[in-house]
Amino acid sequence: MIEAKGLTKHYGRKVAVDDVTFTVKPGRVTGFLGPNGAGKSTTMRMIVGLDRPTQGHVLVNGKAYARHAAPLGEVGALLEARAVHTSRTAYHHLRAIAATHGIPQSRVTDVIETTGLGTVAHKRVGGFSLGMGQRLGIAAALLGDPHTLILDEPVNGLDPEGVRWVRTMMRDLADQGRTVFLSSHLMSEMAITADDLIIIGRGRIIAAGPLQEVIDSVAGTSVRVRSPQAGELADLLTGAGVTIQSLEPGLMEVDGLSAQHIGETAARAGLVLHELSPRSSSLEEAYLRLTAEEVEFHSGAVGDFSEPQVGAA
Amino acid sequence: MSGSTAPARNRSTLRLQPPNLGRTLRSEWVKFWTLPSSIWIIAVTIVVMVGLSALMAWGMSFTESPPQDPGAGGADVTVQPTEDGGLSTLGLMSVTFSYSVGQIVLAVLGVMVATSEYATGQIRSTLAAVPARTPVLVAKVILVALVALGLGAIAVGLSWLATYPILQPEGMQLDTGVEGTWRALAGVPLYLAAIALFGLGVGFLLRHTAGAIAAVLGVLLVLPIIAMIPIDWVQDLALYLPASAGERLVLGAPDDTLTEWQGFGVLGAYVVAALAGAGLLLHRRDA
Repeated sequence: MIEAKGLTKHYGRKVAVDDVTFTVKPGRVTGFLGPNGAGKSTTMRMIVGLDRPTQGHVLVNGKAYARHAAPLGEVGALLEARAVHTSRTAYHHLRAIAATHGIPQSRVTDVIETTGLGTVAHKRVGGFSLGMGQRLGIAAALLGDPHTLILDEPVNGLDPEGVRWVRTMMRDLADQGRTVFLSSHLMSEMAITADDLIIIGRGRIIAAGPLQEVIDSVAGTSVRVRSPQAGELADLLTGAGVTIQSLEPGLMEVDGLSAQHIGETAARAGLVLHELSPRSSSLEEAYLRLTAEEVEFHSGAVGDFSEPQVGAA
Repeated sequence: MSGSTAPARNRSTLRLQPPNLGRTLRSEWVKFWTLPSSIWIIAVTIVVMVGLSALMAWGMSFTESPPQDPGAGGADVTVQPTEDGGLSTLGLMSVTFSYSVGQIVLAVLGVMVATSEYATGQIRSTLAAVPARTPVLVAKVILVALVALGLGAIAVGLSWLATYPILQPEGMQLDTGVEGTWRALAGVPLYLAAIALFGLGVGFLLRHTAGAIAAVLGVLLVLPIIAMIPIDWVQDLALYLPASAGERLVLGAPDDTLTEWQGFGVLGAYVVAALAGAGLLLHRRDA
């Protein structure tokens, strides 16, 4: 469980994170989505106490990270793949971290096996590919067998096999009841991995909640309708909250009504349908829409999406 | 690689202990000795220090043989034994003088123990594991002090062994019975440790390798040169420069302004100031 309240970070005059409040729940994979420079990494660094908040606070399982007796048992974090001295071997790097918490060598060997680093464990980290660096970062995060995992762009640089591996592992960890919080700027990855979503843009939360709700709240669903009597059908469907767009003669896109409703309306009026296909907009579309608005407008313009509690809706 | 992962299989058996000073020191110890550069820097430094001592002794053994009556002669101008030490002063000097070279390496080593973590990003792993932060600084202080003391002691010991057979035939070997000899011998590791810790403090303060090395070597090597300007107040200040004050422990006090230990105390004050500042900023700054 991660709880951020009014979390704010200024670097000089630049506001990196601006009064952010959110909760990340255990047993779920929560995606932290935003364009580069939106404040994801800064927020994550504040969670593990590397950066000091200008205002507000963030708690992990009810306490500030640094106040836990054994911090690595609370939170394992992959913040950057390159948080490692390049002249040291992967094994020694992990051994040094393990030493701080009295973690036995057997656990070091375990996470090396788990992350598939066995063949390179005794090579210098400087020669690692980006993907191997990520695996090492994940291995370090797993060392303390933490209740909460924070992973900043974990699939960055991984090959497809590695991406699937991370995805499976996130799922396993969440299913064990742990809190999994991962950031990405890849919307497609989030659509597959995350249960909950927090979208951040320019330091502010612009949407938060269960994945599908966030998508729906932004984009809604539209239905593509093909009918030789499209004009008549459009007249019947017109109403409050419904937008109908004619794409070409006999083809229209209806926003704000379900396919079921449109089909039944057509049947009652005896109108012929050639196509009736609901199109739920992708997370990618929703995301672009959200972040575009955040770039274009000042605060307030996106007030509808500032509901902060994940899963509260 | 396996598709199914079970990172939690040890959940019941894995017991974590709080990252206290002892465990943090163990971690720093592992980090230091698992960098290949640590080992060869230390080895090369010892070899160079001992080699220079041997060369010095060899050179001395060729100087015009002084009168066989130690303490009595002023006949030889290049060989100037002090009144109470006799020729053994030369032996002591040849054993200890390489501290001046060693200090450069140890200053840089101290700096690097701090700045290499920032340069590589390792500091984020380090401070995430020990978020209290102070244990990290204290552990590094202990580590650097132990390494410098050990290196200094080994270098002095080997120099003694290496110079003895060269100087003994000339009667120039050091004499531990002479007052101040043990102090000077112990002074080398102590002085090197203080310099290395000064480097560590400045390294944490500045966090950039090049800048910190320039600052430390500037203080150690350049300021004493400026201090040669013959203006009274410059001369007064020069007494209290870290290197000039601290060196008295090894070289002896040439005047009665500061005793050997007072001089070393001045150096210690700089070290404490640098480390205190480092500790404060380590707490305040974002990693």
